[in-house]
Amino acid sequence: MRTAFREVMTGDVRLAGEPAARAMRLELRAELPGLLHPWMAATAEVTGHVHVAGSGDDPAAPDWADDPAATGILEIAPLRARRIRYRLSFTTADGRRLHLDGWKSIRLGRPVRTMTRLPATVLDDSGRVVGEARLRFALTRQLLPMAVSVRTRTDPPPTAADLLRPRWRGRPGRLEVWYATITEPRTGTGLWLHHELVAPGDGAAPYAHGWTGVFPAGAAPVLARFGPVPWRAPDGPEVYRAGEVTVSADRLRGSAGDLSWDLRRCGGGAPLYTFPRWAWRHDVLPAAQIVPLPAATFTGTLRYGQTVVELARAPGNIARIDGHGNAARWAWLHADLGGGDVCEVVAAVAARPWLSRLPALPMVRLRVGGVDLPGGDPLLGAARLRADLDLPHWTVTGRLGGARLRIDVIQPADRTLAVEYVNPDGSPVVCHNTERAHARIVVERRTGGQWRTWRSWTLDGTAHAEVGRRE
Amino acid sequence: MSERALRAVAAAVLGVDDARARVVAARAVRLAGAFPRPVAAGLRAAAVTVNAAAYARTGTGLAALTPDRREAVCAAVTALPGGAQLLDALKTVLLLAASDTAVAAMPRQARADRLPARPDRLPARPDPLPARPDPPLTCITAAEWPARTSADVVVVGSGAGGAVAAREFARAGARVVVVEEGRRFTVDEFRRLPPADRFVSLYRDGGATLALGRPPVLLPQGRGVGGTTLVNSGTCYRTPTRVLRRWRDAYGVPVADPAHFDRLLDEVEALLAVAPQPTDVLGRNGALALAGARRLGWRAAPLRRNAPGCAGSCQCAVGCPRNAKNGVHLNALPQACAAGAVIVTGARVRRLLVTGGRAAGVRFGEHEILAPLVVVAAGAVETPRLLRRSGLGGHPQLGRNLAVHPAVSVAGRFAEPVVSWSGVLQSVGIEELHDDGVLIEATAGPPGLVSFVPPGYGRTLRAQLDGADRLATLGAMVADVPGGRVGARTVRYRLAPTDADRLREAIVAMGRVLLAAGADEVLTGIEARPYARTADELAAAAASAAPADLHLAAFHPGGTARMGADPARAPVDPAGRLRGVHGVLVVDASALPTCPEVNPQLSIMALALAVSRAAA
Repeated sequence: MRTAFREVMTGDVRLAGEPAARAMRLELRAELPGLLHPWMAATAEVTGHVHVAGSGDDPAAPDWADDPAATGILEIAPLRARRIRYRLSFTTADGRRLHLDGWKSIRLGRPVRTMTRLPATVLDDSGRVVGEARLRFALTRQLLPMAVSVRTRTDPPPTAADLLRPRWRGRPGRLEVWYATITEPRTGTGLWLHHELVAPGDGAAPYAHGWTGVFPAGAAPVLARFGPVPWRAPDGPEVYRAGEVTVSADRLRGSAGDLSWDLRRCGGGAPLYTFPRWAWRHDVLPAAQIVPLPAATFTGTLRYGQTVVELARAPGNIARIDGHGNAARWAWLHADLGGGDVCEVVAAVAARPWLSRLPALPMVRLRVGGVDLPGGDPLLGAARLRADLDLPHWTVTGRLGGARLRIDVIQPADRTLAVEYVNPDGSPVVCHNTERAHARIVVERRTGGQWRTWRSWTLDGTAHAEVGRRE
Repeated sequence: MSERALRAVAAAVLGVDDARARVVAARAVRLAGAFPRPVAAGLRAAAVTVNAAAYARTGTGLAALTPDRREAVCAAVTALPGGAQLLDALKTVLLLAASDTAVAAMPRQARADRLPARPDRLPARPDPLPARPDPPLTCITAAEWPARTSADVVVVGSGAGGAVAAREFARAGARVVVVEEGRRFTVDEFRRLPPADRFVSLYRDGGATLALGRPPVLLPQGRGVGGTTLVNSGTCYRTPTRVLRRWRDAYGVPVADPAHFDRLLDEVEALLAVAPQPTDVLGRNGALALAGARRLGWRAAPLRRNAPGCAGSCQCAVGCPRNAKNGVHLNALPQACAAGAVIVTGARVRRLLVTGGRAAGVRFGEHEILAPLVVVAAGAVETPRLLRRSGLGGHPQLGRNLAVHPAVSVAGRFAEPVVSWSGVLQSVGIEELHDDGVLIEATAGPPGLVSFVPPGYGRTLRAQLDGADRLATLGAMVADVPGGRVGARTVRYRLAPTDADRLREAIVAMGRVLLAAGADEVLTGIEARPYARTADELAAAAASAAPADLHLAAFHPGGTARMGADPARAPVDPAGRLRGVHGVLVVDASALPTCPEVNPQLSIMALALAVSRAAA
């Protein structure tokens, strides 16, 4: 059993050497083992947003800190230790890493006051006091949102291996995909391993097939298909098998035409839910995509033709799609931003007649410092974004929580493979895919009355992208 | 305390005119602001009672009476049950107030010539000798300290025990925060402020901490960065071997093994630069004590002190104006701060935080410091109170077994000026009776600032004060049978009959030393027989004094959380750990297994050194 909740506290922080305090706001998401109750003594993992305003004298001054990727822990023992301790690390606007350490000291004679006041000290890496914060949980404004935010979950969060397991339970008209995209950094070679399980809508026997694309630097991409073979549920650690092509959480191996590969996976980070978690779990959307291993590295050998590429901790990912089939139109981007940070985009127009008239709905997850943005539901977040899907240049623009986002993707034609898909209903779709795309991602925040760049990334030939459409 | 009520009482008790009484009363009211409420209320009630007695006896207030009739009223009050104690309490406060006013009930012109080191002249005539500069200390006031902090070790109290513990833990690499109730005093303040002002701010409760009993005893305790070492006499006795053996064998404290403990004492002595006091600045008071003892054939010598540059300012009790006395604020604490320790001042710890049977930190005001180890060194009175407030007072012996050094003092009147306040405050030790638990020390100081209270009221007292420069004073302290108990708000102390006998013995012994030194008469401090001219008169006066008639002061409280191997008898184990909880060490005088029979600074510091070094 796990409990998750959100808490917002506001107040001020007096920085050392400054005469006036600055406004401060903490928005926290906590997840702890067990149920939330007064007798507990547990440590919760906390992520959240730390905001400290600019100088009070100058309204146009930029924020002193505005970090949506704060992380830390929350020690909750309101009766057993009479203390609820908050320890958070965050980054200021000028890049300093700071640590907030404070606790509510519960006194049974003054429960409301002591449960709602959080004095805290802000320290730097050396332990020097940078400031003193006094935060308050506003009962009238924040108690209801906090109570509503409480969620309990009886199962532990699924692991990457859990998420990679096949979900097909015999329903016709289903499509499941395991795909991995990798960039070999030394040679700049991109690799795309696409594994499909297709359960045709006419009730025919399900089959497994797929293809492999290699995108060498300075040469035309190479495509090779494998299968189809009848689907057999894999056993052991494998999650997919199509002849000699296998997928497991730790290994990808197989051959297709004159292509062969044998790669071992290492790392990967926490699963990234590009589509909402509920959509993946309850299968209520026409299709959903998630990335069980968004920031993995791969080591092994890739052979195509006479070329042998040795991969050594090459960055890549393994993603999953499950649904009724391919969208009417879609675009996808996987950008490895380094250090475990990832940007994943799926912008799609559903193939259902009554949904196909809608504009493309961009689902964006930007993982920075272990925090996934936007903080809320990706589907709701998609409503504030807009995608212009074209080739070779497509974009996603709009709001990402309180920030402004622009993503530009360029898929050069000479680096792009056009691959024909077949939906479970038999309709064809063409996917234009490259693992050597260019991408530019810019996140801006509004400080001092104007938009300023908060973070930006440029990927020169290392972004993985595709655009699919019915042609 | 009402100044108006006190004005007439001041005039009556000190025998001064109304103008001077007004100044003294105003000053007394200001000083009493630092006293605990019950003490201040008691003084107010005493003043009202004396005035009421005047109305009852004469039909008019004390203010309207002539000096003769005022003295008659004082005599009448003295005759009442408890009246003498009541007037004594008033007299003590008024003498303190008068000590640094220019009206100290003394002759006008002659006194100006005869009292070269009168403390009231200090502000106007600063000490010309240079002071040793204060060493750097990392002190932060509680108001400036963040409300929430964490550390590896929190030390409660910066006195002899706390300072050593802070130094040891800081040198071992721990993040140490010392939390001190008092503030930091600088040598500049000691040179600039009048002694009485320093007195009320340097001592807890303005110096009016009272142990209730018959007789009630004053129990002065220092409060400031450095604790009582700021205001003690600087006398540094090594723990006697017989005491160490008792601690080792009867209380099961292995660290007290004399061979081991002597090395710790050596280290502490080196830290404090302890050495015998050179005779050049002893002063006449010490010289007379030496002479008297020599004529009696008794063991006596200048005391070993931690004041290598002492110039005989005679202000140890209110802060050395030259930083000559090595309180721990001049050595152990600066060394702790150099190793990274921080001292939070003005922070009275309200309680220790305990989580799951383990210490988690301390709370003072709205501040909390989290630390896995809390070292309690708040003194023998405050340590058990703090532990009780924190829910750690479960051990039945905690707060009991309060041992003190009950002390009496006598004065000898000499034909020639002595000017006892010119020289070392505590200069000579006479150890003839030490094996019987009586230690005589030549202790002097200006009227009002020492525990010796001249006899009489009105013009009688004034006459005594007129001749104060011809008085030599000795004090004697007794290793007592522990008879005190620290409560939440009060301290109770019962003087054991055997201790009363030894105090009488001490009065006689001191009187004999003074007479042997050439004193014309001895002021016994006993109300019924205040003067004695021969050894027989001395013995008769002492024999006539009931315990309640003795003018007692009590020093060196200890033993209220005593250390020992027997869990039933000792709240603290031989490693200094408080029983019943993890992560609490006790390193102050309260952990001493018994009375150390000597001035305890070295004993406390050596014990703290052993405990903290083992735990660091």
